Amino acid sequence: MDYFEPKTVSEALLLLAKHGAEAKVIAGGTDVMVDIKYKEEPGCLINIKKIPGLGAIRENGSCLRIGALTTIRDLETSGLVRDKLPVLWEASHQFASLQIRNTATIGGNICRASPSGETLTPLLVLDAKAKIAFSDGEKTEPFASFFQGPGKSSVGSKGLLTEIDVPYPAAGSKSVYLKHAVRGAMDIAMVGVAVLITPDAAKTSLQDVRIGLGAVAPTPLRATKTEALLRGKPLTAALLKEAAAMAASESSPISDQRSSAEYRRWIVEALTRRGLVQTWKAVTGKEIA
Amino acid sequence: MSITINTTINGNAVTASTEPSMSLLEFLRDTLEYKGTKLCCNTGECGACTVIYNGKPINSCVTLAADANGAEITTIEGLAEGDKLHPVQQAFIDTGAVQCGYCTPGYIMSVKALLDRTKKPTQTDIEEAVSGNICRCTGYAKIVDAIQLAAQKL
Repeated sequence: MDYFEPKTVSEALLLLAKHGAEAKVIAGGTDVMVDIKYKEEPGCLINIKKIPGLGAIRENGSCLRIGALTTIRDLETSGLVRDKLPVLWEASHQFASLQIRNTATIGGNICRASPSGETLTPLLVLDAKAKIAFSDGEKTEPFASFFQGPGKSSVGSKGLLTEIDVPYPAAGSKSVYLKHAVRGAMDIAMVGVAVLITPDAAKTSLQDVRIGLGAVAPTPLRATKTEALLRGKPLTAALLKEAAAMAASESSPISDQRSSAEYRRWIVEALTRRGLVQTWKAVTGKEIA
Repeated sequence: MSITINTTINGNAVTASTEPSMSLLEFLRDTLEYKGTKLCCNTGECGACTVIYNGKPINSCVTLAADANGAEITTIEGLAEGDKLHPVQQAFIDTGAVQCGYCTPGYIMSVKALLDRTKKPTQTDIEEAVSGNICRCTGYAKIVDAIQLAAQKL
């Protein structure tokens, strides 16, 4: 196996162009090392961990710019993330174990493009964008169109994710990330649901609603029909019931060792309901009538 | 292809060569003969291979050996001073927090890192610090006792 430690993004891109599909990019290594041992050793390993400048969290106006090499622990211990992007903080806090959070990077979690990737539904509801470097220039891609299937994303075999741009949610909005797993730590979500709502000025109806579903389709996804159903309306008990059922119908889970498809749909319904109840209460101070 | 690693293990400068696909755990155990760090799940889920890497606890089984280059690593062998055990090690003995003992080095490294960053850990701090370490003899209550005792002594 060939091994490279590029010192710049352009050097990494040259290596990717040269070695193509047989090259594997590694940063934290928490996923790639398992593949090397239990699946297949790539022809070439490109370790991007030593490229300077890709590990910072910076505020830029009303947006947070997160370098791809930022570790999950860096997100978890960042006051800016906790204060401005609480839904991403919650997902980082629930991510695997401390040991894994100390090495795993947000870029790795994204590029892995696993439907259950912990940070992905928060990034979807935050309307975040990926900055991807290619040899012919940089491309900015919203996460809404970034994921193409398990392990497949717009990064492809020639690109390098360099930064994640996350706009701050509207003032007055509330969010929650709910994960359903057997164990509290070190467990992959059976279902993950991120909910972000923004009330109207009077705090009587939903001006904006965003619902992200994880581990229940080939990619993490937004429950767009459910969002459209809710938008502009006050959240009543009847609407809540209809919305939760609709979110379940928008998912297309598989059965695997973690749970059956049927069970996952029930959990999508339950977590969507719970997420809306919690955020509505946080926004209005009231229970749903 | 072979690569050369210059690293610091338990305060000693070490130079050795390795295959680029090798994990830090294999490098420690098989190349450098530090057998105290344990191989168990080999997928980053059980914590038996925990070492302190630049001050932070990590799973050495899912870390590239190549990433040891230029890093400072502490293994379980680096804690005792001669015959005098580190307070965390002694606390595990004093509270009977060891049964089969296979998970113990990983636990002790997680706890050492915890007490390096927090002198007075709360129950939540303790639970978070060892949530990535699994003990299959199910001795968790005594392990928590050991951590509290070690915190008092340090």
